[in-house]
Amino acid sequence: MVKIPINILLVDDERDFVEMLSLRLIDAGHRVQPAYSGGEALDRLTEAEADVVILDIKMPGMDGIETLKAIKAKYPLVEVILLTGHGTVETAVEGLKSGAYDYVLKPADFTDLLSKLEGARRRKAEQEERIRQAEARTLVRRTGEI
Amino acid sequence: MIEQKRSIRVLLVDDEADFRQPLAKRLAKRGLEAAQAGSGREALAFIQSNPVDVVILDVKMPEMNGLEVLKRIKAEHPAIEVILLTGQASAQDGVEGMKAGAFDYLTKPVELEQLAGKVRQAFDKIVRREEQAREAEFRAKMEQRMIAAERLASLGTMATGVAHEINNPLAIISEAAGWLKGRVARDEGLSPQLKDNFNLALGKIESSVERAKRITHQLLSFARKTDSMIQECDLKELLAEVVELTRKAADETKAKATIQPRTDKTKIWTDPYQLRQVLINLVSNALQAVEPGGWVRLIVTQAGEEMVITVQDNGSGIPKENLDRIFEPFFSTKPPGKGTGLGLSVSRGLVEKLGGRIEVESRLGEGSSFKVFLPCKPLKTPDQNETAVGH
Repeated sequence: MVKIPINILLVDDERDFVEMLSLRLIDAGHRVQPAYSGGEALDRLTEAEADVVILDIKMPGMDGIETLKAIKAKYPLVEVILLTGHGTVETAVEGLKSGAYDYVLKPADFTDLLSKLEGARRRKAEQEERIRQAEARTLVRRTGEI
Repeated sequence: MIEQKRSIRVLLVDDEADFRQPLAKRLAKRGLEAAQAGSGREALAFIQSNPVDVVILDVKMPEMNGLEVLKRIKAEHPAIEVILLTGQASAQDGVEGMKAGAFDYLTKPVELEQLAGKVRQAFDKIVRREEQAREAEFRAKMEQRMIAAERLASLGTMATGVAHEINNPLAIISEAAGWLKGRVARDEGLSPQLKDNFNLALGKIESSVERAKRITHQLLSFARKTDSMIQECDLKELLAEVVELTRKAADETKAKATIQPRTDKTKIWTDPYQLRQVLINLVSNALQAVEPGGWVRLIVTQAGEEMVITVQDNGSGIPKENLDRIFEPFFSTKPPGKGTGLGLSVSRGLVEKLGGRIEVESRLGEGSSFKVFLPCKPLKTPDQNETAVGH
């Protein structure tokens, strides 16, 4: 089975964590961009496209939920998976209400994370497909009018 | 505190029946029923097997005199008050008696009014003393609880902080080990032996991360108020689940856990998930306490408006000095790595949140039984909007 790489933006203020998880995700066949704060994550998104953002909830400065809201406002199609501590599941629920695709507990189960990444990417692809079809329909209607 | 006043239990001791019997009769007329004894020995024997509040004791008796009897009474039953009856010429005996612990003394011939009054005063003293003891006990209990509550609160705050701080490096270790493992698996240049050793070492890192993670998660759930979902559930089914979930531990110790419903009504309104966690904790503990071939019984009974789930084992039991401490967080007698010392304190927290309580009885070498009392219906609907304590 040929794996289609997912473009991932990994956001966490713990540099060591970002580094190690990136290595693993890259080994699993994905493309990873690191960001170490919410602000940096938003900057990265203007430069390069990402399918899924893995976002730590607990960060100094702009926290995960704020970053999530900003991402969703600007790039509604980008899917977000939240990284949460055990005691912050309630925050994760708030995140889901704000448009996150899912959350994983930290330290994360890697297989679980991979399957959630896959799911997020699929949802994004489906949404993009629907948009394409909708655009095609309007195009047909317009050409029909002409 | 208003208390129903119990009747005064009086024992009248005098070797002269001619004096004793009429006196008893006259006391009875004043509402003081007195048992009688004709000698010191008889009196001591009576006290041994009957509860007595006040003893009216003649000093001048053959064989064992009153002072001697008084000393014996005070030595064995310090709560009993003694009123001495002395001859007119021997007031010194009375003073001696009071030094030995008598409540008071009266000289013969006795003024009945005075005697009855003294008996009542002595009894009042007993009642006062009992009340003071009760109050002191109550106060000590409350103080103990307050200390425990304060300690819990500060521990909770600290525990959450520590757990979160530890979780981050754990995540890094876990990812680093995971990456290495993937690399080792794919590397064809490594000798099989080295590969095995790498995997062994990486496996140890992973299982240790798991272990540390369990501790931090337990710490967090200890400090955390989880949302409660109250629903009707059948304790028989819940217990069957608990037995199923602990089967592995039971098989390991070759012990048997059985369910014994001793009431027809086994349905209860509660949070099945939290109750299940509590019961799994208790059953796992019990299974760790029993010898191979031992048993754990899960007994369901009903007591008024409460359901009682008893987790009973025939294991090693809990030493008396530990009984007060087992519900304290971090108290554990298990070897390092086997217990976090949080199981019982978490359990108690959960049960109390469900409106119930846990009690424990134990005898060294005979086993322990933990009783979970739960209201059949929750006393109040728990606040659904509770949030985590500290993120």
